[in-house]
Amino acid sequence: MNMLIKQTRMQMRLFLRRKDELFWTMAFPVLFILLFGAIYGNSKWNGMTIRSIDYLLPGIIVMGAMVTGIMRTATGFVQEREQGIYRRLALTPLNRTTLIGSQLLQHYLVIIAQTLLLIAVGGLAFKTHLTGNTTLFWLTMSMGALCFMSIGFALTGMIKTLRSATPIIQITYFGLMFLGGIFFPNSLLPKWLGNAASILPSTQLGDALRAVVYNGAGIGDIWQKLAIMGAWIAACLVISIRFFRWE
Amino acid sequence: MNSIIEVSNLEKKYGDINAVNGVSFSVEQGEVFGILGPNGAGKTTTVEIIEGLRKPNAGSIKVCNIDALKEPQRIKELIGVQLQATSLYDNIRVKEALDLFGSYYQKSLPSEQIMEEVSLTEKKHSQVSKLSGGQKQRLSVGLALVNDPEVIFLDEPTTGLDPQARHNIWSIVENLRERGKTVVMTTHYMEEAEQLCHRLAIIDRGKIIAMDTPDNLINKADLSTLIEFSISKELDGLAKNIPGICKVNNGSARKYSVQTKAVSMILKDLTNLCYDNHIELENISVRQATLEDVFLSMTGRKLRE
Repeated sequence: MNMLIKQTRMQMRLFLRRKDELFWTMAFPVLFILLFGAIYGNSKWNGMTIRSIDYLLPGIIVMGAMVTGIMRTATGFVQEREQGIYRRLALTPLNRTTLIGSQLLQHYLVIIAQTLLLIAVGGLAFKTHLTGNTTLFWLTMSMGALCFMSIGFALTGMIKTLRSATPIIQITYFGLMFLGGIFFPNSLLPKWLGNAASILPSTQLGDALRAVVYNGAGIGDIWQKLAIMGAWIAACLVISIRFFRWE
Repeated sequence: MNSIIEVSNLEKKYGDINAVNGVSFSVEQGEVFGILGPNGAGKTTTVEIIEGLRKPNAGSIKVCNIDALKEPQRIKELIGVQLQATSLYDNIRVKEALDLFGSYYQKSLPSEQIMEEVSLTEKKHSQVSKLSGGQKQRLSVGLALVNDPEVIFLDEPTTGLDPQARHNIWSIVENLRERGKTVVMTTHYMEEAEQLCHRLAIIDRGKIIAMDTPDNLINKADLSTLIEFSISKELDGLAKNIPGICKVNNGSARKYSVQTKAVSMILKDLTNLCYDNHIELENISVRQATLEDVFLSMTGRKLRE
């Protein structure tokens, strides 16, 4: 346990030291919310009871969680694997569960920070107002974060080198973003596509968050969405066990 | 004798290739043991099997009387390893890296002491990416020392370093040797092996072809003196008149070497032969045999090709 905290703290310190990465991780989602909020924030889509910006905020939170959970998890891991860091660590008594655990924990803490920042920016710039059960909100977020991180780890098994990482990660990320109801509700997509996209974890996380913060949903209302995310985690775990590589 | 490492009949296959083919040796407490051989001879594979990074196809390994193949976790506490390639977070600072690695072990030395030992005290706050090649390598050696290990493995610690940086690493190893630390190092530099190692295993194509102290290896090979030269034109009868002459195969034509104990006789015959045939002797050198020549005489090949 002590080792997990030490390793996580070191990884966080190294992350905070990479100023450009830190800046983009935190600023990228903020730029999106400011941009889209300014473009169509106060309008309402057909059939929606909330403003577009209210819809957007949880969507951008999901996007931020994907940047860290999928992109940073996968690229960071592939990069460190390629640099031979895991090979070197394999010579020490540090166990690999602790190593993976520290990466999950570090990324999770960043996702929490991103989420808090976005909630603050939304409130200040667009008077978005989130209500509902706080515990359930964070439980849902945690489920989503874990789901994206497990997608990230599953991807590392399919990526051979850092060179091939970018396209594979980008396709996954953009697919989950544009079909996942981040910028507009999937009800605006063609019906067949919207239905297909509803199994994506990004869709489920966004919908679950909106249900919690705007409709006062309880766990009984969103358990199916959490279950779909759970299924994604399980699937990614299977893929990881099969394809995961330390070297 | 107090063996700290015992390796017997180690084998490792990659497809059809026997990278390590029945290697056995033991290392005594307090010994600096060198594994010498050309690239691809199986040096790195051998040490990486002992370190637990690779699984052998056959053989057994004991480190400090512990079966390294059955209890790799226990071995990790007892050994320190420097890998061929530097492999660290690029933005970690020197002191942070030593402290972090120290925290992985049950027993560790203070980072200040390690930095002193590998002369990095002034660089304690520098990030790895800002270090020179030699400094990175010293840090890499320092990381191998954090747990005050029973055995230190150094895999080609000076490959790719400039002479100054190489000497820095040598003095670190000499220091370890004086303190009675057990070191296993691989190298393809003869000078390095001669200067640092108590005992050497010469390995070629996955097999140990000789094992002894550097002095004994040279004496046993009985090479005594080496005369090397080039001639300006091809000369018939050279092989007939100069016993033991060899053509040196490194691309340049008409380069020869003779290993002999009868130096003056060979030189007399050689100069006479060239003088009579109006051929000039070029780049002539006469020197004592080194480990490089021992390797050449045993394998017919040079170490670095």
